[in-house]
Amino acid sequence: MNQNFVEIKANLIEGKTTIPIDVKYTSKYSFLIRFLNSNSFKNGAEFSKLIIQMNGRSFELGRCQFLSEPNIDGYAGRLIFINDIYDIESLMFDNKIVRLQNACLNLPLILNLKHNIAESFHKYTANLTYDLSVYKNLFDNLDAEYSKEPEHIRNSLQQTVINTIGREFMGFLDDKLLELEQIIRNFSKDQHKDHGFYFRKQLWNTIICAPFMTRTNLKPRGYAGDSDMMSMIYANDYRGNSTYSKLMHKHPLEQPAAQAVRNRRKIIAKMIRNLNKDSNRGNNKKLKILSVACGPACEIQDVLISTKDCKKFHFVLLDQDRTALYEAARLIDHTEKKLDTKIAVDYLNESVRTMLAAPFLKNKLGQFNFIYSMGLFDYLLPPVASAVIGKLYQLLKPGGQMLIGNFHVSNPSKYYMEYWLDWAIYYRTEEDFKSLLMDAPSADVDLFFEDAGIQMFLHVKKKSKPDFDSKNIQ
Amino acid sequence: MKSSIKLIMKPKWDEIEKIRNKSSNFLVSQGISNNSIQALTMVISELVENSVKYGKFLSPKNTVIINIHIDENIVTTEVINPVDNTVFKHLKKLDKTIQWIRGFQNPLEAYTERLRVVSKKPLNDEDSGLGLVRIAYEGKAILDFFVSEDNFLNVSALSNS
Repeated sequence: MNQNFVEIKANLIEGKTTIPIDVKYTSKYSFLIRFLNSNSFKNGAEFSKLIIQMNGRSFELGRCQFLSEPNIDGYAGRLIFINDIYDIESLMFDNKIVRLQNACLNLPLILNLKHNIAESFHKYTANLTYDLSVYKNLFDNLDAEYSKEPEHIRNSLQQTVINTIGREFMGFLDDKLLELEQIIRNFSKDQHKDHGFYFRKQLWNTIICAPFMTRTNLKPRGYAGDSDMMSMIYANDYRGNSTYSKLMHKHPLEQPAAQAVRNRRKIIAKMIRNLNKDSNRGNNKKLKILSVACGPACEIQDVLISTKDCKKFHFVLLDQDRTALYEAARLIDHTEKKLDTKIAVDYLNESVRTMLAAPFLKNKLGQFNFIYSMGLFDYLLPPVASAVIGKLYQLLKPGGQMLIGNFHVSNPSKYYMEYWLDWAIYYRTEEDFKSLLMDAPSADVDLFFEDAGIQMFLHVKKKSKPDFDSKNIQ
Repeated sequence: MKSSIKLIMKPKWDEIEKIRNKSSNFLVSQGISNNSIQALTMVISELVENSVKYGKFLSPKNTVIINIHIDENIVTTEVINPVDNTVFKHLKKLDKTIQWIRGFQNPLEAYTERLRVVSKKPLNDEDSGLGLVRIAYEGKAILDFFVSEDNFLNVSALSNS
C-alpha cells in the first residue's frame, strides 16, 4: 500500500496540450499535484482529462480542476474531478476506476419497484405517514412545553403523557396494523416482499427514531434476532430520545410475538428447575445442560436463585456470536457475585451450521441431561433443522430431555415483523416441526405452545434404555 | 404432489450443463411454470458451480449430489459435496453471507447493496458473493447449509414453484 503514497507520473490534457505532472494520493476524492517543467496554472484551471501511468497500465480520468493551495513540499495544490467523481483510493490501491455516481446504478431498480405497489397500499402508506407526522408533531410540542422543568418533573410529566395520550396513540397504531393486515391479506409472497420494501422506505424516518425498530432493520451484527434485540424484548420498556420515540420503541414490544419470547424464557427456566427436582442423580453430579444459540442466556438468571442452585448445574452455552457469549458471561459473572459462588459454565463460539463437523462436538462436549434452543430453528431450513436436531438428539443422555422452539405459521405478529421490523423468519406447522425428528425412534415426543399460542415447543424425551432399532442415533 | 429426483455428477465444469438440462427436464415433467423453471435452473446452476469450485474432491469416487424435492408448491434443492478442514474459513463467510441475505424481507436490499460493493472491488477479485444474492433475488430462493459429521457440505435452496 505504501508504494501508492509515492508520486506517480501523470499527464493533464487540455486541447492538444499535454502537461506533465506528478500526482500523489492525498484523500479519497483528490490528488496532490506538482507541475513539472516550470508550468504554473491559476486556481480553478480546468483540464479535459488526466492520464496516469501506474503498474504498467494507463488510467484515463475525465474533466478535472486545479485548486491552488499553499505550496508545501513543492505541491501546487489539489486536483478534483468535476464531471465524474472518482474514488482515488480504489484507483490507487485496487487499480479500479470507481465513480461516486455508481451508487446511482441501482436507482432504476429501486424506483421502479413502486409500480408493483397496489393502489390501496399507496393510499394506506400515505395516510399513515401523514398521521404519524401529526402525532410526532404533537408529542414533540408537548416535550418542548415542559423541557425547562427539572429532570424528575420532566420524567414524571412524560410518563403521564405516555400513560394518557401515548396509550391512545398505541391504540391508533394497533388499528393501523389491523388495517394493514386487511389490505395485504391476499398478497403473494413476492407482493409481500415488494410492499414491505416500499413500506419501510416510506416509513424510514419513523423507524429510525425507535431504538428497537432501528436495530431490527439495520441488523448491526449481520443477522436478525441478536442478543441486544432479545434484551430489549425482555426489558419491554420505553426507550428513546423523545416521547414519540419511546412510544414507537414500545409498540412492537407489546405485540403477541414479543410476549411469546418473554413467555418462552419462563418456560425454559421452569423446565430446568423441574428437571432438577425430578432427577435421581448422585449428590455430586451436576445436571449438564446445553443451550444452543444461547444469546445472552437471561433465563439462567431465573434458574439460579440460590447458592445451592448454582451447585446443581453445569451449563454449556453455544452461540455463533462472540458478543452474545460475552453478554451471557457478564450475566453469569453478575450472578456469581450476587450469590458469592461459582457457576460451572463453558462457552462455545460456534455456528450450528458448521458445528456438526466440528471435532470438539465428538470429543469434548459429551452428553447432556437437557438441551434447549429457543429461537434458532426459526432461521433453519428443513434439511439443516433436521440435521441439527438429529445431532442434538445424539448428544442427549439416555433419559435426557430436549426442548426446541419455533414460531407457528399462525403468528399474528408476522406482518408487523416483516413490514415494520424487516424481520422474516421460517414458520412451521405442528407437522413440519415434528417431521424434523424422524430419525429418532427411541424418543417420546410431544408438542405444546406457550401461553400466547404463538411459539411451539417440541419436547423430546430420550428413552432411558434405547430400542434395538435406534442404533442409527446412538 | 410430492416427487423428487437425485442427480449425481462428476466435479467437472462441463458436467454442469448436463445437470441443468436434467433438472430442467424434471421440473418440466412436474408441471412447474416456465418462469419458475428458469429461476430454479439458475439456482441449481449457481449452487452446482459453487460446489465444483469449493468442494474437495480428493478421491475419484467423490461426486456432487443434487437432490430436488417438490412438495406441494415448495421446491427444495440440496447440493452436496465433500469438503475438508481447509474450507472452514470459506464456510464461515458463507454462513455470514447467507444470514445477511436472509436478514432482509426483500432480497432486493441485499442485491443492490452487493452490486454497490462489487462495483468497488478490484477487477481480479473473483469472490464477489454476487452468486448468492442472485439466488435470493433473481432465483427467489431462501438459502441455508450445514456440514455433516462426515464432512459433506449440504447447501439447500427453498423456492416457491
